[in-house]
Amino acid sequence: MKHLKPIAKYLSVIAVISFFAAPMYWVFICSFKPTPELLSLKPTFVPHSFTLEHYRRLFKQVDFLRYYYNSFLVASSTALITALAATFAAYSVYRCRYPGRRFMFRLFLVSYIFPKILVLIPLYILFARLGILDSPLALVAAHVTLTAPFSVWILRAFFESVPREVEEAALVDGATRIQIIFRIFIPLAAPGVAAVGINAFLMSWSEYLFASTLVISDQFKTLPVGMAYFLQQYAIEWGIMMAGSVLIALPPIIGFAIAGKYFIQGLTAGSIK
Amino acid sequence: MKTLRRKITEDPFLGLLLVAPLLIWVLITLIYPLLYASQLGFYNVRYVGVPARFIGVSNYSRILGDPDFWKACLRSLIWTVCNVAFQVLGSLLVALVLNQQFRGRTIIRNWIILPWVLPTVVLAIMWTWILDPTHGVVNYLLKSGGLVPSPLRFLSSSQWVMPTVIFINVWRWTPYFAIIVLAALQTIPKELMEAALVDGASTLRRFWHITLPTIKPVLSVVTLISFLWSINIFDTIWLLTRGGPLDFTTTLPIYIYKRAFQDFRFSEAAAMSVIMFLFLLGFAVAYLRTLFREGAEG
Repeated sequence: MKHLKPIAKYLSVIAVISFFAAPMYWVFICSFKPTPELLSLKPTFVPHSFTLEHYRRLFKQVDFLRYYYNSFLVASSTALITALAATFAAYSVYRCRYPGRRFMFRLFLVSYIFPKILVLIPLYILFARLGILDSPLALVAAHVTLTAPFSVWILRAFFESVPREVEEAALVDGATRIQIIFRIFIPLAAPGVAAVGINAFLMSWSEYLFASTLVISDQFKTLPVGMAYFLQQYAIEWGIMMAGSVLIALPPIIGFAIAGKYFIQGLTAGSIK
Repeated sequence: MKTLRRKITEDPFLGLLLVAPLLIWVLITLIYPLLYASQLGFYNVRYVGVPARFIGVSNYSRILGDPDFWKACLRSLIWTVCNVAFQVLGSLLVALVLNQQFRGRTIIRNWIILPWVLPTVVLAIMWTWILDPTHGVVNYLLKSGGLVPSPLRFLSSSQWVMPTVIFINVWRWTPYFAIIVLAALQTIPKELMEAALVDGASTLRRFWHITLPTIKPVLSVVTLISFLWSINIFDTIWLLTRGGPLDFTTTLPIYIYKRAFQDFRFSEAAAMSVIMFLFLLGFAVAYLRTLFREGAEG
């Protein structure tokens, strides 16, 4: 009975990992299989041969680079604006005292509840009237709404971990409040700001509903919209779709490798308190 | 020192200045849409630019008499309840497994969230491929294991589509919540567990009397977040099924979207989204009230 315990432990861990990793492994290897092997009725669990043919065809048949560029532009703008706006707002909500401060915090929290679809219809009409419908600007504006209020919440744990004494010491030395924020506070809370930026990038990179309605012309389309179109075709080009999936998933995975640790810190600290 | 602290914290002008950008943004892109959608519900707007006509509550009465609206609500209910139940139980299970001592657990704990990091369109392509009736690996495994006589059409048959889409969404969100539950599990004092072990408490008793009470507040928060995010999900369902086949996965957000952007009934769609928002707001407030009351008593 005693030596069975470690076995059960490792079996359970392996089961959990496989459950979440197997589908991703499958798409990854399928993107390198030549078409006959890919579509074979007896799938191979370890690929027999290797090809980059799907990646070549992806760039030839789909305007992939343009979509990639558009997505990158929208997602990085969203991340930048979110990080700035949320950092300022979080500093204000957690470190300043003024009437209406609690109300602010609650307002940001309520944004959790807003159905995206509720926001979409009025924004669509508003942007149409302002003449910015069908532009990356409209998309960035909408995406910041999805990411920034939530970010204030993630930042809470990071901001509270910066000791007040550090700020007070700087004030004694004659630094201004703005200097304190930029020179002392933001560097100390940097992991939190990074986590917020990465989270905004991920959300924006992945977002489909706003991206498919607020942007109409092909030249501004983002990756999810561009690829979803091919998912709706009668005969799906599976090789191309696999290669596209790997390339779309790549930037979020790289971003997560860089700052994922901080994101998880922010996520867990925020929820447990 | 006290006056200095006051000097730091009590600078209302700076505080308001710093919060202003996000506040204005939220007012324009959340509060204005909410007010505008509420107003839109009392008008008849068919096309953007055409003057709206005031029609009172007739949008609302039409919605409440629309059987498709109620069907969408029912589907949303099934979708949300299943998602919350499986995400919360699944994340608890995954967290308990990953809370054990094993080699490489720091790496695994950080990377287990990967399904959530995947963009939704990749999620949709991935599962459409894996579950494909002809080329999909799942049907191949089921058939070679002799479990099914003919391939299952997971995403295109009426009886399979809802469970399948729920499964896919649970697969994606379980690791996300597992990370949070895992962090809560680590707050359980080691001495407490050891003492229980010395007293000869069984694994089940330890779980029931120590683990569960400690992580209960976090589980409540996870349940609320899971509920609010599940009910609002649009992208995943739309990219996998477009609400089909035959409306079988048309939950409320999908139905509202179709009303607005396929039937061009903007007013009706806006009215429905306001109803949905009010329901969610009421639910969240009631939930948090009970939570705090319980916390105060216990």
